[in-house]
Amino acid sequence: MASRLSEMKGMIGDYLPGLPRSAPRFVTEDGTRVFGVIATFSTTPAVVHAAELVRDAGYRKWDLNSPFPIHDIENSMGFRKTQLPYHVFGAAMFGVLLAAALQWFTNHFDYQTGEGFGYIVQGKPTSAWEAYVPIMFELGVLHAAFAALFGMLMLNGLPRWNHPLFSSESFLRTSDDRFVIGIEANDPSFDPEATKRLLEEAGAETVELIEEDA
Amino acid sequence: MTHVHVHEEHGGPRIESGYSGVVTPPPPAADHGEGPVMTDAAYQKYLDKLAAHPLLRDDNVRLAEGAGKGIGAVLMGVGLIGLALTVLLAFVFNTTHALAAYEVGVFTVLACCLGALFLVMLLNMLNAYWTATIRRQLENIASLVWVPWLLLLPVAVIEVVSGGVLLRWMGDEYAGNVLLEHKAAFLNWFGFLVRYAIYGVIWIVLANGVLGVIPGVCSLSREQDITGDRWLTRRARRMSGFGLLLFALSVPLASFDFLMSMDFRFFSTMWGVYIFAGAVMSAIALTAIVLSVLRTFGRLTGVVTAEHYHDLGKLMFAFTVFWAYVAFSQYFLIWYGNIPEETNYFLHRTTGDWQPLATIIVIGHFIVPFFLLITRKTKRNTLGLGLMGAFLLVMQILDLVFIIRPMVYVEPGVEGPGYVGWALDAVGVIGVLALFGGALIAKIASGPLIPLRDPRLAKALKHKNYV
Repeated sequence: MASRLSEMKGMIGDYLPGLPRSAPRFVTEDGTRVFGVIATFSTTPAVVHAAELVRDAGYRKWDLNSPFPIHDIENSMGFRKTQLPYHVFGAAMFGVLLAAALQWFTNHFDYQTGEGFGYIVQGKPTSAWEAYVPIMFELGVLHAAFAALFGMLMLNGLPRWNHPLFSSESFLRTSDDRFVIGIEANDPSFDPEATKRLLEEAGAETVELIEEDA
Repeated sequence: MTHVHVHEEHGGPRIESGYSGVVTPPPPAADHGEGPVMTDAAYQKYLDKLAAHPLLRDDNVRLAEGAGKGIGAVLMGVGLIGLALTVLLAFVFNTTHALAAYEVGVFTVLACCLGALFLVMLLNMLNAYWTATIRRQLENIASLVWVPWLLLLPVAVIEVVSGGVLLRWMGDEYAGNVLLEHKAAFLNWFGFLVRYAIYGVIWIVLANGVLGVIPGVCSLSREQDITGDRWLTRRARRMSGFGLLLFALSVPLASFDFLMSMDFRFFSTMWGVYIFAGAVMSAIALTAIVLSVLRTFGRLTGVVTAEHYHDLGKLMFAFTVFWAYVAFSQYFLIWYGNIPEETNYFLHRTTGDWQPLATIIVIGHFIVPFFLLITRKTKRNTLGLGLMGAFLLVMQILDLVFIIRPMVYVEPGVEGPGYVGWALDAVGVIGVLALFGGALIAKIASGPLIPLRDPRLAKALKHKNYV
């Protein structure tokens, strides 16, 4: 339980600046945290083939960068379904319940005990559920929209000022004439030697270790 | 041919001297407004490719000769027996009750047909390519709109001849009523009959056309199966534009005439939208049932896939929610406004004997389908979406029961219907539905199960949801 809690704290620290980060899985000799390895490829078939090998090796935290969209790459990379809809659904239900509770307590429950608003419109009882529905709908939609937008950003690790990959010259060539597969060090299957070997066997032209700044 | 002279600009010559290239004028821009973007020869190639497509072989996109004849005959028989029993019970038990039971069935069927007609026209207007493989089933349902229209004929005749059975404003009972006199310009038997005829003309012409003069949207699609003429698609689209306007006027007015005017004092500006939302939802539900049955019997394999089901399910979900939104909006304003003429409608239905049905409709018509249809699994599953369709069709019947049946015993002190009454409701509804089911099976078996030469078919076969 305690370890799970510190793990979650670390995840929040990885996302929000100024908080203690999670313990690094791998460090270089001078102590900087390893972000992962990247491998460059110069043809589309090579990178698609390599993506299939990386997918089949069971990696989950990795990405492929390309100067242009590659058709059907989501299958070669084994994209999993996003968990975002569940967050949105949960947030919407929370909004609905929040609105119902908010109105019932302030307009009906507190009013019974001598406080609260007790708005009586058209002679309707203060506990009439019909009057609560528009607010329940609106707060449900509002929470769903917030969860969709901000949940998407958080799951993508956004917003952020910089990215460790930007320090690599060969990564920057993905906007020109190279394809890059990058595997992150916090992937459970990541191993500096084995991952490097896998990428080399998959036909990588160069394999490079990426460190995080400071 | 023009020789190009290169002028030196401020930055110096951009083309080396000695260049003596010749440019030809660019080809005229493709005229997407009027002329064909694709030549006839290229389109013929497309049709040949479709004809040789392995998924579009005959045993996949056509029913076998005589398929469904047996079950169709059984349904027709059940329908006729049900209608005979309804007529019998009308004489020995209660005419008003029998007419109400019959109307519940007829309006369920009419809702399916009108919803399907709307969807066919809408999908034509939107040029929605993914629907090419499911559109034929919507067309089959829509082209049968003459069946419920004809079934309404006895209702209209009985109402007018007997001076108001369910439409009590037709009789002398309320003569001199201020509210009725105020609405007499609309609510009079002659106008009622004229409008009933006009609705029939609009719906049947839009769906089936006038023989040899105007083709309807459904007959255009069937004609295309034979001729392969791609311009029929465009004609259907042009017709759908005007058709949607006429549809938007005729359906709410018809719902005012037959349903809302059962209590002539009652009025709701949401009524037309409410009926329309339920109609489109039941059309999608019936289409899902038809497609699921066809797929269970090994037809449309690879033609109507989980991808098409997913999108059909999204539409089903959308119209379930839309119906709930409209139904609540109508209820909410009437509840808050608290005007006697309006509130009476809901007061009668949400208190006393009808209260349980109101609860069942709120749960069954919205809450249960909302949570079941929100997941991908139900929408992409053949059996799942078929069962949801059947469930929602039952809910549409209950919704019409909720609208029509409370108007039977309105006099104070009259006993409830009892078991004979429930049996009468059952035979009336099942009779009409079985009759329509028989007609629908015959219609489905009478041609290909998809528009075989639709210009959008090749794209529809590759349809995919990327999320």
